[in-house]
Amino acid sequence: MKRRSVLVGLGAAALIGAVPFSASAAEWPAKPITMICPWSAGGGTDLLLRKLAASLAKETKQTVVVSNNTGGGGAIGHAAIMRAPADGYTIGMITFELNSLPPQGLIPFTWKDFDPIMRINVDAPALTVKADSPMKNLKDFADYAKAHPDDVTIGNSGPGSVWHIAAAMMADELGIKAKYVPFDGAAPAVTALVGGHLTAVSVSVAEVRSQVAGGNLKMLGVMGETRSDLFPDVPTFSEQGVKATFGTWRGIALPKGVPAETRAKIAKALKAAYDDPEFQEFAKNAGLALAYQNDKDFTAFLDKNANDVHRVMLSLGLAKK
Amino acid sequence: MDFALLYHSFGNVFVPSVMLVIAFGVAIGITIGALPGLTATMGVALLVPLTFGRPPLESLSMLLGLFCGAMYGGSISAILVRTPGTPAAAATVLEGYPLAQQGQAGRALAMALFASFCGGLSGALIMTFMSPLISSVALEFSTVEYFALAVFGLSVIVSISGNSILKGIMAGLFGLLLSTIGADAISGYPRFIFGQMDLFEGPPFIPTLIGLFAVSEVLANVQITKQIVRVKTVVDRYFPTWADIKISAVTIARGSLIGTFIGAIPGAGGDIAAFVSYGETKRVSKHPEKFGTGAIEGVAAAECANNACSGGAMIPLLSLGVPGDAVTAVLLGAFVLQGLQPGPLLYKEHIDIVYNVFASLIVANFAMLIIGALGIRLFAKVIMVKRAILMPAILVLSVVGSYAMRGDTFDVYVMLVFGVVGYFMQKHDFPLSPILLALILGPMAEANLRRSLVISGGDFSIIFSRPIAVGLLILAVGSLIASVYNHRKIQNRLAAASGLEGE
Repeated sequence: MKRRSVLVGLGAAALIGAVPFSASAAEWPAKPITMICPWSAGGGTDLLLRKLAASLAKETKQTVVVSNNTGGGGAIGHAAIMRAPADGYTIGMITFELNSLPPQGLIPFTWKDFDPIMRINVDAPALTVKADSPMKNLKDFADYAKAHPDDVTIGNSGPGSVWHIAAAMMADELGIKAKYVPFDGAAPAVTALVGGHLTAVSVSVAEVRSQVAGGNLKMLGVMGETRSDLFPDVPTFSEQGVKATFGTWRGIALPKGVPAETRAKIAKALKAAYDDPEFQEFAKNAGLALAYQNDKDFTAFLDKNANDVHRVMLSLGLAKK
Repeated sequence: MDFALLYHSFGNVFVPSVMLVIAFGVAIGITIGALPGLTATMGVALLVPLTFGRPPLESLSMLLGLFCGAMYGGSISAILVRTPGTPAAAATVLEGYPLAQQGQAGRALAMALFASFCGGLSGALIMTFMSPLISSVALEFSTVEYFALAVFGLSVIVSISGNSILKGIMAGLFGLLLSTIGADAISGYPRFIFGQMDLFEGPPFIPTLIGLFAVSEVLANVQITKQIVRVKTVVDRYFPTWADIKISAVTIARGSLIGTFIGAIPGAGGDIAAFVSYGETKRVSKHPEKFGTGAIEGVAAAECANNACSGGAMIPLLSLGVPGDAVTAVLLGAFVLQGLQPGPLLYKEHIDIVYNVFASLIVANFAMLIIGALGIRLFAKVIMVKRAILMPAILVLSVVGSYAMRGDTFDVYVMLVFGVVGYFMQKHDFPLSPILLALILGPMAEANLRRSLVISGGDFSIIFSRPIAVGLLILAVGSLIASVYNHRKIQNRLAAASGLEGE
């Protein structure tokens, strides 16, 4: 008897799932919302999205489920967002890799196949060296690199990753040669620097934050447009005469084709979730530089970012065409 | 070491709310660990959102309890149904499953629990008293040392080869070949993926593991379902016998040290620790011929090492802010959620939290011992279930477990393919564990060798330029020679034994 009721329940669930959703946009959200995360559970992107999802659930009074569709260096999750039904009940988190995968020929789509809703954060990299290094600024670093052309190693978070590209941009702008050493994520690269096995790392401020604060490492310059809130004493690259800004970003996008009315509601609810003090506090604690942009600005940003990334990857030999 | 603060921290942990969440974490951990496909990493990741808005001590205690429980839980399915519940329990299968087949599941489970407890407690104590020292050694590990460590780990393949070293090496090479699938660690070039993006990060590890061990066993059993006599298992104990403890005491001590140390090296986790500890135990054993047929020390070696790893992996997390393994990488996120940044600053600003973590990990190990003991009788019943019911159930769990990792049906196919591969390999007496070891260590060896060469500009002499690395490489060669010699001895003894029987 019990077994039968379970079967009936499953059948009913399947039926409900199969009935096309016909409610009008005015009712959004009338059922649970799924948010796709292209990165694995427990990572930085996942935690940020889960916190945003919690605030969105509070805002919409609906269940918000985070689904981690991982693999392919982000390719699987981004593809899942793009192919999701455009009914407004699947919302995706898009990340920097959406712009670095296409030049490598690894995904057959670009950001233009998505409907960008909002930018959440932009995290700038820093050029970080050991705290006991005699180098004090970018010029010292460039001088050292020119004097020791075979010895400079800059660790990053993976081949073709955002910080690999950042290192190449830094070296290009400083006019130096360096060996880029890709690690499996930022943490092992930072550890290797603390252990004295590298000259520098080019990962984000948030990723070196604890070692800098603990007195093991120091930052020579931040590659953001403005100084980092976490370390207001560290000058930017531009302030040191190196005109380059760069950063990784995260944002929210929908699959193409969500009705305009629903889309507007989603954007409004997400902005409210973003403004939730709990979310704001979380981002502050995590050391993330929140940088909201609405859909229009975010679209323009994506366009420029995609071109910049493509150009640098070409010069690195990472882009196919 | 501030004993007053440690004492005070125990006071913080011994309150009902914290004890309760630790017990809850351990219970969930054992369950998640025992289910194939649900690993400690995933368990912690799933529970992290539950800790939103809870005080730091409660949240972290629950997650640490889960970490402990899952490390032990993996051994349950490894012993009973030959499916390592977590990758860290893969080495436990080698001796645990033969023991269960001989009707000694209770004995193996009791030893696994006892060894897990000893290992976990040692790891936690070493963490409490020696964190700064050990983390400074871990920092000495550059890419060259990682490469050497991986080579040393690979030398264990000979010890886990079973009857034929040649077949073991073939299986190991097959694994190494598989590990070259996916994005090149240095250039990012996708290798052997044939346009299949699901393979970009290499063959998915958990589905491969489940396929090789669980599905192959299901396939093998299907052929003989009707002939199988149900294994009679007497489960009359929660604790290993004094004789078993005496046999395993040295093994447990060694495994605890190996486990803690390997755990403390960022990027090397319980799976490697368990295999190395098992390999070493077999190598120094007076009766290496018993290994593979149900040697209780083998279970002890693997289980104490993987639990010691938990304490070890916490060392670099707390003192350097660098996770020691995959689970602690997720734990790092949990700290951040609490507004705490592990690393040197945590010691300066929140030393109370650090000590609370010490205290709660120690307490979590006791909770694991108690809850685990209560559960043994229940777990062991699994093996008394009719095979005709148990096997399909394992297959279903295997499918769900493979899918659950990243919600991808591709992984289910991978699992099925490796199930078939595993079935034929076993049929022809090829050992399966070397594949696993090669899949874990192959990428580590390759990526770090290549990183070293990037740093040296292609000069191979960098490998011999660092003392720790050279030491590890010498150890690898030494252990290889010793294992081959050992293997000859085993073969001779087995031949002599069968000769005697013949007369």
